[in-house]
Amino acid sequence: MNIEHRILNFKIKLQINISKFIFRYSILFLILIISSCSNPYKNLTKTEYPINDIQEIPYALPFSEKALIYKANINFYKNDISGLLIIKKTDNNIYRIALTTQFGLKIFDFELNHGILNVKHCIEYLNKEVIIKTFQTDFNLLLMQNNTEAIYFIKNTEMNQNIWQFSSGKINRYYIQNSESEKIENISSKKRNSEKISVGLHNYKANIPMNITLEHHNIKLKMNLKLIQ
Amino acid sequence: MNKILSTIISVFIFTSILFAQENDFKAVKDIQKTKIELSKLSENTSSIQSKFIQEKHLSFLTENIISKGEFYFKSPNQLRWEYSEPFEYIIVFNDKNILIKDEDKISTFDTESNKMFSEINNMMIGSIQGSLFTDGERFNVKYFENSNQYLLELDPKLPEMKSMLKTIKIYIDKADVSVSKIKMIESSDDFTSIVFIDRKLNQAIDNVIFNIQ
Repeated sequence: MNIEHRILNFKIKLQINISKFIFRYSILFLILIISSCSNPYKNLTKTEYPINDIQEIPYALPFSEKALIYKANINFYKNDISGLLIIKKTDNNIYRIALTTQFGLKIFDFELNHGILNVKHCIEYLNKEVIIKTFQTDFNLLLMQNNTEAIYFIKNTEMNQNIWQFSSGKINRYYIQNSESEKIENISSKKRNSEKISVGLHNYKANIPMNITLEHHNIKLKMNLKLIQ
Repeated sequence: MNKILSTIISVFIFTSILFAQENDFKAVKDIQKTKIELSKLSENTSSIQSKFIQEKHLSFLTENIISKGEFYFKSPNQLRWEYSEPFEYIIVFNDKNILIKDEDKISTFDTESNKMFSEINNMMIGSIQGSLFTDGERFNVKYFENSNQYLLELDPKLPEMKSMLKTIKIYIDKADVSVSKIKMIESSDDFTSIVFIDRKLNQAIDNVIFNIQ
């Protein structure tokens, strides 16, 4: 075998190896994409849940008549805002949500009325349409106020979860109860199966979570709440 | 029955005393003389150490939110607010630096780059130490008094400040010419009042207090 042949052979082998490599990894990559985007509850039985029975969902936060005061730390891109977040249900599906600084000055004061956020007061810096829309999405998710077309109940025995899925167009919101603790411990908002917002609710006391973490996955926004009263 | 009646009467008397305190303030006649009297506050106060009770009133809440803590001021520009309730939070203004301790996290800012903190700093130091009363550029000041106290009503002139606050009311005890209460009223009429108790004036305060480590 002359040297040219050897080089040609080597080149062919290398090409085959490279194509094998690409083929293998593209499959792996595809599997990864499919699995990350696929609905984890797809194979579980889903039953329609009556929209009128929304109050029966074991999530007391939206129905508490007491004013809830949380110490809040909000990280928004490079900004840290800290203060007290006050949530007060003033009527059915109507809430006042205010954030004050430690010194007491109001940063914002919103009314969430049937899913629509009205600005009563907001410091100029945050009073931008995009930011207000984001707060509307977040508080609607936290207080289960989103408009929904249908609700489904899913039982995930393997994971000890009872799940209420709120469907609205391409968006699905999941309220996930740990069937052992009987508390809603996670909320997840997904658009076409890609997770946009996740909420963790922990250390329940009298049916109210003492700790709440709300995180956006497509923008740098994280809210940490600690119950004071 | 008697107990209920006496409670009602005492509540009535107590609230009427409160109202009387708010209402028996009259406009100061000799403003110039009062200004000279009040200038003692900034001239004679080298340091203040005090406990405070802060009350936040929001129209949609039935109860006010109460915070408590301790406060230290050293002339000309060192200030420490230390909240102990409802949670621990310390904010220190030291010359141009702001240090915040929130749980275990310490953050540093500088007043020149942070306009909002700079305003808070000016307002807090200015209302306690008195420089705010003569700040005609940023406030319209109205003077009132009763037998024990002066009441200064400061209405912000600048639009930025106006959007945050309608009026700042400062209550000053005549006996030692020191601030006993600040009430910050927002445009919505929600307010924050801070009452200073156990005030110690002109006592040595170690500089370590104005640092957080």
